[in-house]
Amino acid sequence: MSTTPHSIAPEEIMAHLDGELSPARAQSVSTHLESCATCQELVTSLRNTSHSLSNWTVAAAKVSSSFAERLSAAVAKAPSNSPGLKFQIFPSQRWRLLTASAVLVLLLILIIGPMGGRYNMTAPETRQAVAMHVAEQEAEESRVRAKAKDQLQDKWVYVPRSGLNLSKPEPPSNRPEVIGHGSGNGIGPVSAGSDGITHGIVDNDQSSFALEGKSISAQQSRLSSGPMIARTVALSIVAKDFESARVSLDAILARHNGYSASLTVNAPQGAARSLQASLRIPAQQLPAALAEFKALGRAEAENQNGEEVTQQHADLVARLKNSRETEQRLQAILTQRTGKISDVLEVEQEIARVRGEIEQMEAEQKNLEHRVDFATIDLKLSEEYKAKLDSPAPAISTLIHNAAVNGYRNVADTLLSIVLFFAEYGPVLIFWLLLLAIPATLVWRRWRHVTAAI
Amino acid sequence: MNDTPPTPAYPASPASDEHLMLAFSKGSAESFNELFLRYKQPIYGFFRRRTADPHHAEELSQETFLALLRAAARYEPRALFRTYLYAIAFKILRAHRRKAAFRATFFGQPKGIPDPSKQDATESGLWVRRAVEKLEPIDREILLLREFEQLSYAEISDLLQLPLSTVRSRLFRARTALRNLLEPSAAQATNEAAHSTEPASSPSATQTIPEKGFRI
Repeated sequence: MSTTPHSIAPEEIMAHLDGELSPARAQSVSTHLESCATCQELVTSLRNTSHSLSNWTVAAAKVSSSFAERLSAAVAKAPSNSPGLKFQIFPSQRWRLLTASAVLVLLLILIIGPMGGRYNMTAPETRQAVAMHVAEQEAEESRVRAKAKDQLQDKWVYVPRSGLNLSKPEPPSNRPEVIGHGSGNGIGPVSAGSDGITHGIVDNDQSSFALEGKSISAQQSRLSSGPMIARTVALSIVAKDFESARVSLDAILARHNGYSASLTVNAPQGAARSLQASLRIPAQQLPAALAEFKALGRAEAENQNGEEVTQQHADLVARLKNSRETEQRLQAILTQRTGKISDVLEVEQEIARVRGEIEQMEAEQKNLEHRVDFATIDLKLSEEYKAKLDSPAPAISTLIHNAAVNGYRNVADTLLSIVLFFAEYGPVLIFWLLLLAIPATLVWRRWRHVTAAI
Repeated sequence: MNDTPPTPAYPASPASDEHLMLAFSKGSAESFNELFLRYKQPIYGFFRRRTADPHHAEELSQETFLALLRAAARYEPRALFRTYLYAIAFKILRAHRRKAAFRATFFGQPKGIPDPSKQDATESGLWVRRAVEKLEPIDREILLLREFEQLSYAEISDLLQLPLSTVRSRLFRARTALRNLLEPSAAQATNEAAHSTEPASSPSATQTIPEKGFRI
């Protein structure tokens, strides 16, 4: 038995026989083999083993006729003619990468594009242009209104909103048209009889009621002056200079005769200031006011809604008129007729009920008209916050201390959660583990046995 | 029957496997026929030595060529064609083994270990086969890939997802074990020779080598 240490491992000799060594190493192994009888024995042994393995031959492969036909058909189709083989959207990894990159770029463009567009739209120059355009439009509208007013003054009767018009309406053919003054500055011509709703009201009652400073004529004029729309606008603005924007906001409100229903300012330390306000602006001045609000900064979001309440208002007016008539008839009964005390009391109760309804409807009407006359702007004004270096940062030791405390709490909470989990679900888990362990072990053993056999 | 794969010619000569495959991917049916003729027997031998049933070996061979057909459009000659083909065959074999094991586990015992009485009369080397079957699965696979499919260590390493050094040491271990099984009398002498050596850089053949999560 040779115990001479070898500088070449048996595996290297095997690799040499398999032609897996580099030329230099193969040369040194060959040199060693010439002088080492033990390694020569190993070489002989390995060659014998390979020779023995070569005795394991396999019968010739049989190709069934059906497979030959199937293969021929597939070869005839593939790969140039087969749509399933040739038509590939992403034939290689490179194309997949290119397509994914293109999709990514497209998504970025889609995301950034609208943001850029919005930014451009709210650029200072554009905002100024929009404000000027709106102002020009408003001036033009005022001129047209004044001209129309002058032309109609001869034959039209002006009914101030606060005043009363007790004159009897004339027949539709020669009835003077009425211009009603709302709480806003708008003036709308009324073509009497042209509106079905207006007709109904006028035909049923030839006299106007004077109640609480309002007249049916005024209501009719409101009804027939076009659709009544309650406008609401939600506007989110980011301003660079919060203070000046705040001052400008008050100035805009004063300029357009508006007011703020609610206003909240938040100024947290180390964060952007913000203002949230619910503003009321006369509807006619809404476009101009909006343009000025947008000029305060960069408009991040804008949402405008218009709710048409014409029908609702017309119904309310009709119901109100009927109730007033009912009240008048009941009062006439009370004054003109005689009867038992119980009847009198009953009539008075009915009058009280009708009176209550009238007051309720009048309140609703006021609210509705106010919503139409004054548009609501829900304004959110935020500051473009820039972090300040001089803000007092917590000391490093404090940060470390806080982090350590938080870490300790987290670890304690996690441990506690684990303990609670096992306390709650542990028995059930153990039960199921025991229940499933037996079949799982059986399946596993069988699987191992079968895979070893295959 | 000689089922040794044809000697690879790389870089591709006009009649090389890679050239034929590229020609087929461009529409040449004759090229595929030539490849089929070249590799029909080696692929059948690959499956026949790893499955108990000759019919299964035929089916898996056919499946391999059909898979090759389907993948022809995506073929890129980055490696030898035969390595590519054996990789396809090996995947199909593993899928077959998984299915067979599942069926056997849950639906009954498979045909299992080859029955010598059912072997093809033309096949020989039954004693060699029995000796090979006694090897560890990974060692056996490496030995078969080297001896019959003539794959290099690097190709076996890629195919089985094992380190190159592991392939070499396991191959040596498989050959030594097989020699001991085939020639018990000669085993002792060579073992002594192996023990008397001091490997310079490679691990011992008998050292337990951790597997890389791969299962044959």
